[in-house]
Amino acid sequence: MKKTILHCDLNCFFASVEMLYHPEYRNVPMAVAGDPEKRHGIILAKNVPAKKKGIRTAETINEALQKCPELIILKPDYHSYEYFSERVRDLYYEYTDRIEPFGVDECWLDISGSLSYFGGAEAIVSSLLNRIREEIGLTLSIGVSFNKVYAKLGSDMAKEDDFCRIDSLDDIRHLSASKLLFIGSHTCEILKSHGIYTIGDLADHPMGYLENILGKAGKTLYCYANGIGSDEITRYDHEAEMPKSISCCHTAERDLCSLDDFKIVLTMLCDEVATRLRKQGLYYRKVHLLLRTKQLKVRTMQMSLKENSDLAKDIYDNALALFERNADFSIPYRSIGVSVSDLSYQKQYRQTSLFEESAYSIRQKKQELAMQQIRDRFGKDAIVSLRVMEDQTLSRIGLKNNEPFEEVIHQ
Amino acid sequence: MIRKYVDVICLNDKGGNVKPLFLIWEDDKKIPIKKVKEICPRASLKVGGSGLRYTCVFEPNRIRHLYYDRGKWYVEMNDHVV
Repeated sequence: MKKTILHCDLNCFFASVEMLYHPEYRNVPMAVAGDPEKRHGIILAKNVPAKKKGIRTAETINEALQKCPELIILKPDYHSYEYFSERVRDLYYEYTDRIEPFGVDECWLDISGSLSYFGGAEAIVSSLLNRIREEIGLTLSIGVSFNKVYAKLGSDMAKEDDFCRIDSLDDIRHLSASKLLFIGSHTCEILKSHGIYTIGDLADHPMGYLENILGKAGKTLYCYANGIGSDEITRYDHEAEMPKSISCCHTAERDLCSLDDFKIVLTMLCDEVATRLRKQGLYYRKVHLLLRTKQLKVRTMQMSLKENSDLAKDIYDNALALFERNADFSIPYRSIGVSVSDLSYQKQYRQTSLFEESAYSIRQKKQELAMQQIRDRFGKDAIVSLRVMEDQTLSRIGLKNNEPFEEVIHQ
Repeated sequence: MIRKYVDVICLNDKGGNVKPLFLIWEDDKKIPIKKVKEICPRASLKVGGSGLRYTCVFEPNRIRHLYYDRGKWYVEMNDHVV
C-alpha cells in the first residue's frame, strides 16, 4: 500500500520569524544576513518584498544592496529560530510520530497511520496550515505524495501557506530535472549534455544508461525520478534519537594560507565535535573533512578508523592526515568543516597488542574529559590548546565570544 | 498597535500550571485578574510575537489578551494610548 508522506517547508523561515516580532518589516524589503566582519556576509533569508526586488538567498550583502539600496538587513537570531523550529516540530508530533527533520525549517512526516483518525490527508494538511499560522504565526508550504522525493518537490511547487499534491510521475514529468532533490548545477549540465532536460526524460532513460554517465548517483536519480523507494521515515524518538553524523563547520575571519592556520581551526573544530559526541555518549568510526576554497569550491574527503573512538585527538590526526594526503595550500581556504559518522553507543573493544600504546588513549581521554569539565564550568575559553592561542584572529570566533559554531546535525 | 511588556504576579501551582493573578501597570497599580477564560498557543499578528495567549477577565466584562512569550508577558496596546 502506498504511503502518505508530507514535506513541510516553513516559508522564508528566518525572515518570517523576524517579521513575527517586527511587523513593521512585513511590507518593506528585508533580509537576514550573516555578519560581514566575520565573513558570513551573505543573505540567509529574505521576505517577499525583497524577493520582488530580485534579492536572492546566498548572494553577498553588497550585491543585494546594489539591487535594493533600501534593503533592511538584520542579524540572525539563531536561538529564536531554534525555538520556533522546536515549537513547529512539537505541533507535527500531534499528528504523527514518524518525523524526519531536514534542516531547521523542513520536515518529512509519514501520516499513513493517522489518516483515518484525522479524516484524510487533506484534513491533516489544512489543519497543519491553519494551526501553524494561527498558533505560531508562521506559514508553510506542504507537499503531499507517496514518497519523500515527490513530497519535497510538491512543497517546492506549492505556494506560500498552501499545499501541492503529487500522485504520479505524470504530474511532474514536464518539470526541469534540476528541480529534483540533489540535482545541482553540475549534474544538471551533465544531464543536459546527454539530452536529458526534464524529470520525464530522466525517468524514461534506463537505469544502466544513467549509471554510465553519473556513476552511483545514476541509480539514485533514476529511482528518485520514477518515485521508487525513499518512503521510509524512521520513528523519531525524543529520548533515544541517534544522529547519523555530527558536524562542525567554521568560516575563518581570514583565509587559511598555511598548515599552522589550518591546525588552529582544526583543533577548535575537533574539540567541539568530540564534546558534542561525548555529551550524547557516542563513538565514531568515520572522519570527514570539508574544505571550502576562497572561490567557494567545496571538497570533501573521508576515512574510516580501525576501531571507533570518541577522542578529539583521533579526529584531529585523521583529518590532518586526510588533508596532507589530498590537499595543499595552492589555493587559500575560506572555511573548513569536520564531521564524524558511523556512530554507535558502544565502544568496540579489541585485543590489545604488546606494542600498542593503549595507555596513551586512556590518558588522552582523561585529559579531554578534564578540559571538557573545566569548559562546562567556566566557559569555553577557560582552557584552550596552546596552538589555538597562537593566532588571536583565527581563534576569536567560537571560543572567546562563546558563540556557537555553525552546526549541522543530520538526524 | 504595539506590544507592551508588563509585570505580572502569577501563581505557579503544584501541577506546574501558571496562573496570572495581578497585572502591574505603569503607575505600580496592581490590577487583579478575576478569571482566566482560555489559554491557548497563539501568534499575535497585530503587534508581533507568538506564545501562550491568556484570555483574562479584569473587571466584569473587561476582557484582554495577555501573552506569555519565552518568560515575558505582554499586552496589545493602541499606539495613541501609550
